[in-house]
Amino acid sequence: MEQHHNSETRTPLNSVAVQRRSKTKSYRLSYRSGIGAASRLGFTPGLTARRLNTSRKAPKSNNITEKVTKEQLALLVKTEWKLSYVTPLYQFRHTQLKSYSRQLSAFIAAEKQQGLAVDVEGTQNRFRVSFSLVQEMTESVDDAVTVFIQIHSKPLIVRQDEPQRPVWSGWLTCINGNLEYLRSLPKDFICLPLFCSSEAGGLTSVVKSWFQQSFDCCFGPLEISHTSLQWLMALWTNCHPESSIRQLKMIWTLPVEPQLQVTYTVNAEDAWQLWSSVRKENTAAAGEENSIDIEEVTSFMQGLKGHFFRHFRLDLSAGRLDEVSTALGSAKHSGRIKFSNSKYMITTLMLLTECALLKMPI
Amino acid sequence: MDESKKRLVQRLIRRIPTKMLKTTLQKWGHLTGEQHRAMDSIQSKWALTESLLAICEENELAVKHLTELEMIYMMDNPDQGMWYAFQLTDPGDDAQSVDLMQFKEQFKSHLRELVRQVSVKIKKHTDEAVWIRIAWGDAYSRPDHLKPTYVVHYLQTPYVFVTRLNSKQKPMLFQAMVLSTRYQYFKDANLSGRNLTAIRDLLMRKYQQVFPTKYPSPLTERKQTVTNPHVEREQAKPAANRLQMACEAFGGGTLPQLQSAVYKLETKFRDHTNTLMTEREEPFRCVVKFSSTNLLESLKNCASSGIASTPVTPLLSSIPLKGKNYFVITDNVPGPSSQMRQTQN
Repeated sequence: MEQHHNSETRTPLNSVAVQRRSKTKSYRLSYRSGIGAASRLGFTPGLTARRLNTSRKAPKSNNITEKVTKEQLALLVKTEWKLSYVTPLYQFRHTQLKSYSRQLSAFIAAEKQQGLAVDVEGTQNRFRVSFSLVQEMTESVDDAVTVFIQIHSKPLIVRQDEPQRPVWSGWLTCINGNLEYLRSLPKDFICLPLFCSSEAGGLTSVVKSWFQQSFDCCFGPLEISHTSLQWLMALWTNCHPESSIRQLKMIWTLPVEPQLQVTYTVNAEDAWQLWSSVRKENTAAAGEENSIDIEEVTSFMQGLKGHFFRHFRLDLSAGRLDEVSTALGSAKHSGRIKFSNSKYMITTLMLLTECALLKMPI
Repeated sequence: MDESKKRLVQRLIRRIPTKMLKTTLQKWGHLTGEQHRAMDSIQSKWALTESLLAICEENELAVKHLTELEMIYMMDNPDQGMWYAFQLTDPGDDAQSVDLMQFKEQFKSHLRELVRQVSVKIKKHTDEAVWIRIAWGDAYSRPDHLKPTYVVHYLQTPYVFVTRLNSKQKPMLFQAMVLSTRYQYFKDANLSGRNLTAIRDLLMRKYQQVFPTKYPSPLTERKQTVTNPHVEREQAKPAANRLQMACEAFGGGTLPQLQSAVYKLETKFRDHTNTLMTEREEPFRCVVKFSSTNLLESLKNCASSGIASTPVTPLLSSIPLKGKNYFVITDNVPGPSSQMRQTQN
């Protein structure tokens, strides 16, 4: 919320300002309307009124591999991404990527050279930025196309045989965003609420501030809540018959002095059996969408916790679930995610998009 | 100068913190007073390396002298890397009479029979422990002094602690150990940790295990958050009770520092709300690892704060009681009234 105000105050006072303020207001209103009438009745912020979906589609081996090119998928998997949410981008154009690349690289150069003596003659930019689109990685027609950004640093000595590794990469995406909300956004807004970044140096903050200045948006950290982590455990385990999860691993932290960490690793087959035992009678006929209910997710967790308690008489609920991982991916409470198998990526991204939309300040 | 000597000096200077170097060199006793003063005045690691190399040349010190320096440092600072505990079983009649000289001689000769290229150095520490440094080689290479194995054994006891031993060297060390101590078998004690003293104390039952039965009221030690005297009185008893049970399970005072404990569970899944799983024949396979900077302290805290129910389950109290931190848990007898059994792997 505050961050948003900041970005607003930083907006230069010119003719655009008036227009901008008005659109900000309209989008706030529209977000509330997406939340439901209840939240308009009082001061209840929309965030408390709206919750994560309590039921979601079972992940099916998505045909993402047919739609998205291998090269592009390779960029997204096997990297650990730090998550943030982004408010809708104002006047972002998917057709302007070339010019954005130039702008961002100039912006980085300017930021990096602040306070440094610069050689006026050789204003050679060391950073090369490339924006690209990940076409077809969408779930509904209203989802904006995913934007992928890579920043390469030009080495001082160029070696031909060595492939250049990016110093920063990141992407903005929206998979199956809330339709009501997306449709309520004013025309000039593009909603790509989930921002994933991976880097070794301090470039993320520079990229974020460029986005903030260029598209009047704001960023915030996106943590993966306890409920979302449980969802991921269930969604991943559900894939086991099709694609082995190898093992289901949970890391808990218990608040004692000194801090106690519990790593609970369950055999893949046994985790799957427990999961199927808590699944309700599936009424869906063959071929129909198979859905998973939050109650099933909770019973699954209860089962795992119960088994643990029976042995150690130690209540895991007193602690915090910090991390879950399987062969399909890993997720951390601190807001880090890794996709290890592109087949089931879409389901995870749907959940994260939902989390990002919820976390956005109203 | 011999390349291996040079690398050993580099490694030693890099590993020994500058502030500890002086005392370590003094204990070593191969430097003249002037050389000591010269070494003391140097700050940078690079210059120290150069200087020590020059001294080695001058005093004609060989690799064997340098390994001694390493041993002196290691004996004073053993908490580096992972230590694994082993136990000798089935002592022969003369096991109790093995003395240091005999052990030294026999261990060296037995190991040399198994591995031709091996360099062994044995030193007795002040606390009765025998320290063994083994640099392994093979048919084609000379002993590698950069990756030595360290073994600590207490004569006339069945306990052996080992660090930096790879699986290829394991059987050879075991055999040499068994033969020179006059025991029959050598087995994994299922205990490991970064702190040698702690795992030694746990295994050899050297730490305070006399559990006091009276404690000062725990509420006086803890932050007073509850102000209502009735509530306080109500809670004091169970809290004192929990602390008592926590101390009974893990001991009072300072606890040996362990970093982790691992349980391999292969027990049936039992949950009255889940008949499908409960009726399943096969065990539910999972591995649980507890880790902390001081595991026993953390577990004690869990019990005294109520996160863990009291009395503490035998599974957890077995760590100090049995001096183990790796357990395989299976059901004793199939059936509803079965009990946990801890089996050694």
